[in-house]
Amino acid sequence: MVKQTYLHDKHVALGAKMVDFAGWHMPVQYTSIIEEHKNVRENIGLFDVSHMGEVFVVGKDSVEFLNKIVPQDISKLTDGKAVYCQLPNRQGGLIDDLIIYKLKDQTYLVICNASRVDEDINWMSINQKGYDVHLDNQSHNLSLIAVQGPKAIDLMRKLGYSEDQESFTIIESNLLNIPMYISRTGYTGEDGFELLVINEYAEYLWDKLLEEGKEFNTMPIGLGARDTLRLEAALPLYGNDLDEQTTPIEAGLSWSVPKDKVEEYNGKKVIMEQVENGTTKKLIGIKMLDKSIARHEYEVYYNGEKVGIVTSGGVSPMLNANIAMAYVKNIKEICAGAVVQVMIREKLHDAEVVKRPFVAKRNKVKKEK
Amino acid sequence: MSITEKILCTKSHEFLLEDGANFIIGLTDYAIEQLGDIVFVELPEVGAEFSKGETFATIESVKAASEIYMPISGKIVEVNEEITDAPEILNEDCYEKGWLVKIEKTGADAELADLLEYADYKEDLE
Repeated sequence: MVKQTYLHDKHVALGAKMVDFAGWHMPVQYTSIIEEHKNVRENIGLFDVSHMGEVFVVGKDSVEFLNKIVPQDISKLTDGKAVYCQLPNRQGGLIDDLIIYKLKDQTYLVICNASRVDEDINWMSINQKGYDVHLDNQSHNLSLIAVQGPKAIDLMRKLGYSEDQESFTIIESNLLNIPMYISRTGYTGEDGFELLVINEYAEYLWDKLLEEGKEFNTMPIGLGARDTLRLEAALPLYGNDLDEQTTPIEAGLSWSVPKDKVEEYNGKKVIMEQVENGTTKKLIGIKMLDKSIARHEYEVYYNGEKVGIVTSGGVSPMLNANIAMAYVKNIKEICAGAVVQVMIREKLHDAEVVKRPFVAKRNKVKKEK
Repeated sequence: MSITEKILCTKSHEFLLEDGANFIIGLTDYAIEQLGDIVFVELPEVGAEFSKGETFATIESVKAASEIYMPISGKIVEVNEEITDAPEILNEDCYEKGWLVKIEKTGADAELADLLEYADYKEDLE
């Protein structure tokens, strides 16, 4: 049975094209993916991401438990801070990637991918043994609306938001008299907010954001543009760029793996061994040198040899070029500036290896005061 | 007579339009609507021959690549080069400016029999 978010009828009324995604009936586009994409980069986009999972981890051993299941050092999180991390299995392969927020002592919020909530909960339960923690899956009671783009802050201010949050923080607050968690996070590479409310408030909040956002050219944005936006920002998508056979080091996520964490965690041996000695595959960014489009699972060649596979690929509306991420053999010469080929419909097409992100991120926001 | 009254359609959303001795092939407005923003078009070489149902072109939207099939057997006599430079033309006008190829029919007239008139094609979609 395909699930619907509390905003489902809003999307249909807005004329969205709906698709099944990770067991949810979700809007893929309202007008045009390219138009929606550009609007997020220039103005504001609203995203219904209520399909994502929210799991509260509560209890005396929360830090120890979380430290056992992710490479990041959760003991370093102060109240209201968030961290991007992964959920490795014992071989270092990834069950999911997550954002963990410290709400307060002994209370953490874990945001999971919609397609992985069940696996995550299962894995967390397996690892829970011996820890004094309670896992509270609130995914079906909560709605999540992302407000993204350079003018997101202006819309928030108009609605009465007076806080001063830096990026990757969360607060418990009220907006429009609705109790909510407000985090300064997103999946677009732009500044923005994610608003977590109980389902009953979702429709009212969505309508208000659209209505009050008119003067800032606020548009609803579907999963299509969500994908092109995150690709330009080179943010990984679980299932495309990350899976149970890929470690965070291979995925180019070393920056999110502390090298000095003392505690043992699942997969640590493999992960630290790769930090030490390198990996056999690596993630690269490529830009097509012609008009062709590299897509998920297309083969990558270097000097006539098959060296890897495209994980995510498509158009970059901002660069007016076609871009992709690919896993390739860890050959030193395959670095920025090198030319590789992608097999597209039985023909090889040149692509240049480029630095990630493809489009500069603008999501690092400091406190105003 | 509007263009949709003159075309024949396939269930895979190509249209066929008689053009003097030749035929024009393109994609229906429904197909374009479903695809969304068209960003890449790959057309065959002039002179290439294809049988009915064979893939002769690829159209890519932001979301995915789609193969386009021959509504009838034919030999390519002209391709619309404007759309390879500006694929968005298909989104603007898929019947007049956004046609794909012109062909010379090489198969039997019977091949035309299982194509649908636009009104019936639309009805089939519902």
